[in-house]
Amino acid sequence: MQIDIHNLSFAYGHKSVIGGLSLTLNPGDYLVVRGKNGSGKTTFIKCLLGYNPVKTGMIFFDHEDINTFTKWMKFGYVSQKFEDFNYDYPITVNEMLSVYSLRRTNQSQRLKILDQLGILGIVNENVNNLSGGQLQRVFIARAMLNQPEVLILDEPTASIDKMNTEYFYQTVNSLHQTGITIILVTHNSDLGRLDLTHVLTMRQDMTYDFMTGDKFHTEEAE
Amino acid sequence: MMPYALSFFSDLFAYDFMLKALGAGIVLGIIAPLIGSIVVVRRLSFIADTLGHFSLVGVSFSLFLSSLEVSIFFDEPLFFGLIFSVVGGLLIEMFRRSYKSYKEISMVIVISLGTALAAVFFSKAKATGSLYTYLFGSILTVTNYYMYALLAVTLLVVLLFVLFGRQIIALSFDETSAKFLGINVNIFQIIFMVVLSVVVSIMLEAAGVLLISSMMIIPVAAGMKLGWSYRSTLGIAILFSELSVFFGLWAAYSLKIPSGATIVSVNILILLIVALIKRIVLKRQIAKLAKQNVPDEL
Repeated sequence: MQIDIHNLSFAYGHKSVIGGLSLTLNPGDYLVVRGKNGSGKTTFIKCLLGYNPVKTGMIFFDHEDINTFTKWMKFGYVSQKFEDFNYDYPITVNEMLSVYSLRRTNQSQRLKILDQLGILGIVNENVNNLSGGQLQRVFIARAMLNQPEVLILDEPTASIDKMNTEYFYQTVNSLHQTGITIILVTHNSDLGRLDLTHVLTMRQDMTYDFMTGDKFHTEEAE
Repeated sequence: MMPYALSFFSDLFAYDFMLKALGAGIVLGIIAPLIGSIVVVRRLSFIADTLGHFSLVGVSFSLFLSSLEVSIFFDEPLFFGLIFSVVGGLLIEMFRRSYKSYKEISMVIVISLGTALAAVFFSKAKATGSLYTYLFGSILTVTNYYMYALLAVTLLVVLLFVLFGRQIIALSFDETSAKFLGINVNIFQIIFMVVLSVVVSIMLEAAGVLLISSMMIIPVAAGMKLGWSYRSTLGIAILFSELSVFFGLWAAYSLKIPSGATIVSVNILILLIVALIKRIVLKRQIAKLAKQNVPDEL
């Protein structure tokens, strides 16, 4: 899916958070969005997902305006700390994935995705008993279920340990190799091990750098 | 008292009204926790209470109309209760959208409006003898109309779960991600709210306004303590719900107490027993683990 963003601005009331952001992503690109807390990373993702209404500037998905876009099934999304899920009520990983795989997937495909993410062994575990790392992979599996064209991951390493973070980056690299467009938000400065194609640096003063991965790595080396 | 208590079993099949009560109880024992589980997941446990209060407006309005000698809907307050419950449900949904981060505000507004309107109509109605029944439930006096309505509601609930069960469960666990499944969140919220309102209104006669939410929520709360999956939790909740209906009916008949009160009392008793047993088992497990982890040299 081609994503075009033209001069996007967003404000919470009178407080401007994003001002004049433009970029283009082609199918299969891997964009890393980085910046300090308060630089507008999550606000940007919320605009991209249609949670924040886009009033100033424009976002197009395959040339279709976001305000009329309805094919959200093409997106997979893993939120920060997975806080939007209602925990505590018992539900197994398999049950959870089965209610979220409404179309195009079946039991064997579900198991295949879990295997790919290295969590096949917890398929019948209660979601509430999982560790942060396991939970994160379950939510990635959920986002992958409906074979999205774009996978958006908002700072998903915030609540997991170093080993799982490493494993997570490897997983995202292998997902990217399957041709999915990846948008990964992170405040992690070490991006050397990511197969990224583009980097967007966001700052609190609403200045942005959007560059290719090659250029980013060259500048980093200097 | 004992012979009277035992006569419940012989009377159960001897009287038509007893069989009707048992039949209604068994069906309600299934649909109450089924809908209740969704309500619990969505953190809206007070919603049934709110809708119950609003359906009481319908009951009071029906009694008010009767005292004016206006006869609509076969003089069955149940049908008015149903309409007002649905109106209450839609009002909650409307207010919920205006106060997105404070969902409970919508319920306070609707419960207050419902109670106030019910009080107005009751005060203007002449015959308010059945108020007691609607507050605390009377499953032993359900009519044929009630049984037909219950059958229709059961079909509606079954249809809802067969057609949209997955979407509704997905939406309940995670509202923000539902759009990535192609679910129209707003439409499903309204569909669920309407079905919930209908279920609440049908429970009005059996459980009573003040105890409807208990019959929906408490078996689920007990099920959550023992369940290991969504299915097992629901299965356990339905089993507890049926047990409480049966023993509640027995107590209601034997002791001449409103059925809502007896059913809910049994429900709470089961919850307490389950919580106690779980606590003992957990304590033993912890003690066992601690024993295993003591180093040899100690």
